[in-house]
Amino acid sequence: MDYGYYPGCSLTGSARRLDKGVREIFRKLGHSLNEIPDWNCCGALEYGDHSELAGLSRENLKKAEGMCSEIVAPCPACYKNLKEANSGNQFAILHPLELFEKDIMASLNVKRDLKGKVFTPYYGCVLLRPEETSIRNRNIMEELITFFGGEIEGEKIKDRCCGGNQFFANKWATEKLSTLILEKSKGIMVVFCPLCHMALKTFSTGRKIIYLTDLVLYMMGENNII
Amino acid sequence: MQKIEKVFELTDYKREDFSVCLGCKICASVCTVNDLSIDMNPQELLSSLFLGNTIEKDNALVRYCTNCYRCTSACPWKIRIPEVVRALRESLSVASPFEKAFKGSIDIWGRVYEPYVFLKAVPFLLKEGYIKYMTRWTGYISVHLPHKVKRI
Repeated sequence: MDYGYYPGCSLTGSARRLDKGVREIFRKLGHSLNEIPDWNCCGALEYGDHSELAGLSRENLKKAEGMCSEIVAPCPACYKNLKEANSGNQFAILHPLELFEKDIMASLNVKRDLKGKVFTPYYGCVLLRPEETSIRNRNIMEELITFFGGEIEGEKIKDRCCGGNQFFANKWATEKLSTLILEKSKGIMVVFCPLCHMALKTFSTGRKIIYLTDLVLYMMGENNII
Repeated sequence: MQKIEKVFELTDYKREDFSVCLGCKICASVCTVNDLSIDMNPQELLSSLFLGNTIEKDNALVRYCTNCYRCTSACPWKIRIPEVVRALRESLSVASPFEKAFKGSIDIWGRVYEPYVFLKAVPFLLKEGYIKYMTRWTGYISVHLPHKVKRI
């Protein structure tokens, strides 16, 4: 299957690891990701002017016209903004997690399971809210982890906020919110949002914070991250 | 008054859209800002906008809203309060040096070029004590040239 691909700014820089992981897993699933030519920033959650923000993603959709009908966007903010701009449903905007259902992932050449290991899947806000732009299966990470033998413990914190959006404005606020999540969760934190990754990593003391893509690649014997 | 009109201009909302707010305060019960030990009631902000009352820069929601959308999710009318707050921040010219650099990068290249944003924000990062976390950020450093978007 051929998909259009919108990596977004973070995935070309600080979240390059996530970009590589997504590309690798898609390749292993037999799909190709074709980057939208000349894509521009989606504006994340930084714009107060709603039409200015929507205009950025509309421009990206124009750039994708004629090259694909389905666009994969791994960054939660990009995914949300593209979905909102896609008002006429000209494209299907997909998050990788929507294509990582367990029956599909079972087809991968998995060499190691997750037995005896404890995880906390953490989605961050934007993959789950607002509901009209959230991912289809809001339990996908739990399902994948338990399917491959991993355990999920700790309090239910998946709908709490790490404060990542305040990271470079009021870091004490992010520290307090991220610490709350780290204290209430157990084991290895599994995330998909670059900003959650950075916030939790910055304020944790020795906890493993990993992208879900790295966990999948671990099971395939491609890394030894856990 | 002028500024409040500007807030409505920036969002897709009209003043009367907030008249439906039932005052149930469920937004207050789920607001992340409360986890910062700051009493926060987003519903007060909506009624202030509806009534045309001035909202100041030091309003806790203007300062600390994390864009988590827990309020929107809980609201019977699904009012997108974080977007109203973002419009308020814009109308009040509230932006950290980092946020200014973020938009500055988009103005120059059409994308966020992180080394530029980081360098522009260095005085802020130094002043606010971010430097002690630098050792934890090594995995995020990426050396690459900026890509200039042709059409935006």
